[in-house]
This record gives sequence, structure tokens and C-alpha cells, in this order.
Amino acid sequence: MADLSLPATPTRKPSLLAVGSAIARHRFLSHPKVRLALVLLVPILLLTIFAPVLPMQKPLETNLRAMMQFPSIEHVFGTDKMGRDIFSRTLAGVQISLLVGFSVAAIALVFGMVLGTLAGFYGGMIDRAIMTVVDIFLAFPSLLLAIGLVSVMGTGIVPVILAISLADVPRFIRLQRSQVLSLRSRAFIDAARTVDASQYWLMTRHIVPNTLAAMLVAASIAAANAILVEASLSFLGLGIMPPQPSLGNIVRDGQTYLEQAWWISTLPGVVILLIAVGLHFLSDGVRELLDPRSR
Amino acid sequence: MAEYAAKKLAQMLITVLGVITLVFFTLRLIPGDAASAMAGDTLSGEALQVLRDQMGLDEPLISQYLGFLRDLAMIDLGETITTRIPIADLLLRALPITLSIAMATIVLSIVISIPLGTLAAFMAHKGRNWLDNGLTGAAMIIDLMPSFWTALVLLLIFSLGLGWFPASGQLNWNNPGSVALRLALPVIVLSLSQVATLARITRTAVLEVLNEDYVRTARSMGWSEMRVLFRHALKNAALPIATVVGLSFGNLLGGTVIVEFIFTIPGVGNLLIAGINSRDYQLVQTLIVLYALLFVVINFTTDLIYKTLDPRVQF
Repeated sequence: MADLSLPATPTRKPSLLAVGSAIARHRFLSHPKVRLALVLLVPILLLTIFAPVLPMQKPLETNLRAMMQFPSIEHVFGTDKMGRDIFSRTLAGVQISLLVGFSVAAIALVFGMVLGTLAGFYGGMIDRAIMTVVDIFLAFPSLLLAIGLVSVMGTGIVPVILAISLADVPRFIRLQRSQVLSLRSRAFIDAARTVDASQYWLMTRHIVPNTLAAMLVAASIAAANAILVEASLSFLGLGIMPPQPSLGNIVRDGQTYLEQAWWISTLPGVVILLIAVGLHFLSDGVRELLDPRSR
Repeated sequence: MAEYAAKKLAQMLITVLGVITLVFFTLRLIPGDAASAMAGDTLSGEALQVLRDQMGLDEPLISQYLGFLRDLAMIDLGETITTRIPIADLLLRALPITLSIAMATIVLSIVISIPLGTLAAFMAHKGRNWLDNGLTGAAMIIDLMPSFWTALVLLLIFSLGLGWFPASGQLNWNNPGSVALRLALPVIVLSLSQVATLARITRTAVLEVLNEDYVRTARSMGWSEMRVLFRHALKNAALPIATVVGLSFGNLLGGTVIVEFIFTIPGVGNLLIAGINSRDYQLVQTLIVLYALLFVVINFTTDLIYKTLDPRVQF
């Protein structure tokens, strides 16, 4: 019954709508930081998608007549000890990186939203229980937590995604909770309460939409961070295992030949950096579009 | 103050207990059990049972847990399972190395970033933004460089190319000069990202303070710019800077694992990797608890320093 009166409730700053309308009005594409991000990310994305049909050696294909070759037109990033094409391997690694980045961001976003909203909205015992666990997880430096978790869960892509997500979810819960806490006391929530809006309605219609923008910004930073952590784990030999290429384990392979073939380790690292910088500009741009004061 | 410290200490102890509990039970989640995971396919039947007995895996979970707590409380860290070396001995050798790297990094990054950040704030305050813009851009990119990649690039240029620093070799503590040279590159790699963060925070904190009334008053009294900047502005900006130094310690610990691995330095990080690779869960759980303890204690200290510097702070 109460719901009938709700359209009259003032809703301020519907953030998701703002994202939609910003894209619709081409503001999104004309923002300088977003443009820079797209210039960095789109070519990498396209190359990764079309890697299988590009005229180059397959990532796992060896060629003993072309070992440790200097970068050339044929092998853009050169070749390694077994004559494998580093560029092709790098693109295969980017595929893994992007998979890890987006999976971690999605998992952290979903769990962070749900648990953070519950903790912030209900307070009391629920809040205390959730935040005690969160504080325990936050007592581990995040890379070390991920290292500890893969040591238990084993190597490979699924354990890596789970380990990095588990390290990130507590941070998202904390962010969401603090947003919900500050929203909870705002006038438009009180207004909705006075017209008897249900708790479910308050959470899904008034609280969560207003927290989305900040969470999406955090998610794109988390994606960049997850890509760096996956690369670090694989570099340490604890993440994605060879022969399956990942940016981290390609760099690790090249470490032994640093003196004879510097390109094996250094060039894939440049790609990691470009992706991270791109995602960072993207999140910066989105934040500025949604909240022009933060510029 | 005492009440505040006691409250924080109680909080810290609860977190530490939580950390230990989490580590203990997570390691019991290994499919099969720790003994068979360790042995792989090498042991079977009776031998595996012997290993299980040694690790106490057949005791009830709760008594294993209590035993783990008791051993930790008495600082009885046990032995590595594979090589039967007391873990305390390993730590006594490895921990000073890792802590030296961490401390040297903190000192170096403070020495570089505070003047740099202050200068950037000062120039921005005067309307000259090039240093500020350059610093912000550079800091962002440095912050996003994977540290293992930075380490390899620096190794390539300065060790293999120019031959300024040794890339490997024993740490001989009787010859401090050689140790300093050996640890220089790892410290530089870790300092880069620390400087990136710290310089940015210093800039923001100082810039904020420069607009305060007391800074204007100090200026109007005819003090030199340098004196105003360092005596009045920087002193009041110290609080956020100290906090960030404390908070970034966790990242620093993660970073030491990577640089120790690359530069083959026998610190705690390399011990951890070796422990994971040989599936020595006794060693791994001790080290993970140790890392968390270090981090929690540093955070606790940061909180106390914060409270001492600014008694207004309420939590």
C-alpha cells in the first residue's frame, strides 16, 4: 500500500541514471581522461580479441629455428628460449589478466554491496559480526593475504581469482558500509520513511543506487589492482603456471635470460603498465563525470 | 591517553586472535589434509601416517588449535617439516634482513618525498603548477608499475648494464659497504612506489595548511618563506603524512617478498616462497601470522602516534 505514495519521494542524485545520461549526451566520450583511457585500452582489447585470427605464431607454438630473436616485424616482441612468439604469448596473457581483473571486480562489487549494505543499514549485531571478520582480513597486507590463500588453494586461474577477491571484498564492504551510514541519515531517506516505505524498498530504491557510482569507481581500481596482483603471483610462481602464458610468468621466464634477451621480460611488463594506467584514467574520468566537484 | 591505548590494545589483541584462528582453520581446509598435500605422491600408507602423527593431524581439531595457540604464546615456533630446522633460527637470520630493507625504504622515501611534496605544494600555492602536475602524473605511473617489472628493469640497467650494484652474492655483514650495495637496488625499487604515494600526500597536506590563518599570520610577522614553510606549515601537515607512512607499511611488506625473490636476498619473503614451494605448512602458517602481527603492531603504533600528535582525535 505504502508504495503507492512513493513516486512523490524526492530522490536526489540518481547516480546510475547519471552514468546513463552522461553516456547518452556524449559527455562520457568527450571527457579527456576517458578518451585517454580508451586510447590505451581499446587497441589492447581489440588485439586480444582478434589474437587467434591474427597472422602470427600461436602462443604455445615453439620454433627452434627462431630462438631468442630480437623484436622484428615478424615477431613484434621478439621470441624466447624455445622460439615462442612473445607478442602472441603476451596477448594470451592479457586475456587471462582481463579475465582476472573483471572477475575480481565483479565478485568484490557484489559481495561488498550486499554485506556492506546489510552492515551499514541494520547496524547492531549484524554490523558487528561482519565488521569483526572484515577487520581480521584487513590485518593482512593484501598481496600477502593473496599469497597465503593461493598457498592453500593451489595454483591456476580459479584459485587466483578467489584469493584476490577474498583480499578485496573486505575493502569493498568497508566502503559500502561507510556510504550507507552517511546516506541513512539523509533527508530523503527520512522522507521515504515517513511515507512508510519498507526497509527493502529503502535499500534497493534509495540507498543502493546512490552508492553505485563510488563502488563502480572502486571496482575499476580493484580490476587494475587485481591484474597487478595476478601478475605478481604468477611471477613468484604461485599463480598461473606455465606453459599457460600469463603476463607475470612470461616476465618470470625471461628473468633468466635478462642479459641475453632483455625483451622477454621487459615488453610484457609495459603492457601490464598500459592496462593499469588505462583503467586508472577510466575510473578517474568516471568519477569526475559523476561528481564534478572532485576535479 | 592510557585509556585510549588500553582500548586500542584490546582491539589489537582481538584482531590478532582472529588472524591466528583464520590462518589455522584456512590451512585445515586443504583438500585431503596437510600431510598428504605435503607429501604429494611420494609417500603412501604407513609413511604418510607417520607424517600425520608428527604434524599432530590425528588429534581433535580443537586440541590442535589450542596447541597452536599455546605454542605461539610461548614463542615455540616448531621446526620446518621437511628439513627439521627450528623456525625460530630461520627467522632470527631472515627477519633482520627484511626489516633492514623495510626501514631503509621508509627512511629513504621520507627523505626524498617530504621536501619534494612540500616544494610542489609551495609552487602550486604560488600559482606555478608545472612541478605539481609533473609530480602527480609521475607518481600515478610509478604507483602502477608492477614492482617486479621495475626491479628487473633497474637490475638490467644498473647491475647488468652499468655494473654499479652486484646482482647476487652472499650478504657479508662484516663488510657493511658490500651489504649496502647489495641491498641498494631492492630499497630503491620499494622506495619508488613509497615516494610516489608519500610525495602526493605531503603535497596535499601542506597545500591545505598553507591556506590556514596561522600561516598567514606567520608570514605577516615577516618570517622568511623557508621558515614559514618548514616551521609552521610542514609541522602541521605532519599528521596525515605520519598516518600514510604507517598505512603503507603493509604494501611495503608485500613488496619485500617480491624484491627478495628477484635479488635472491635471504629474507622472510624468500623463506615464505620456499615454504610454499616445499609445502611446508608449519613454516607458511608461522610466517603469515608473523606478517599480520607486524602489520597490526605497526598500525597500533601509528594510532598511538596519531593520538599523541593530535589529542583531539576521537575514535
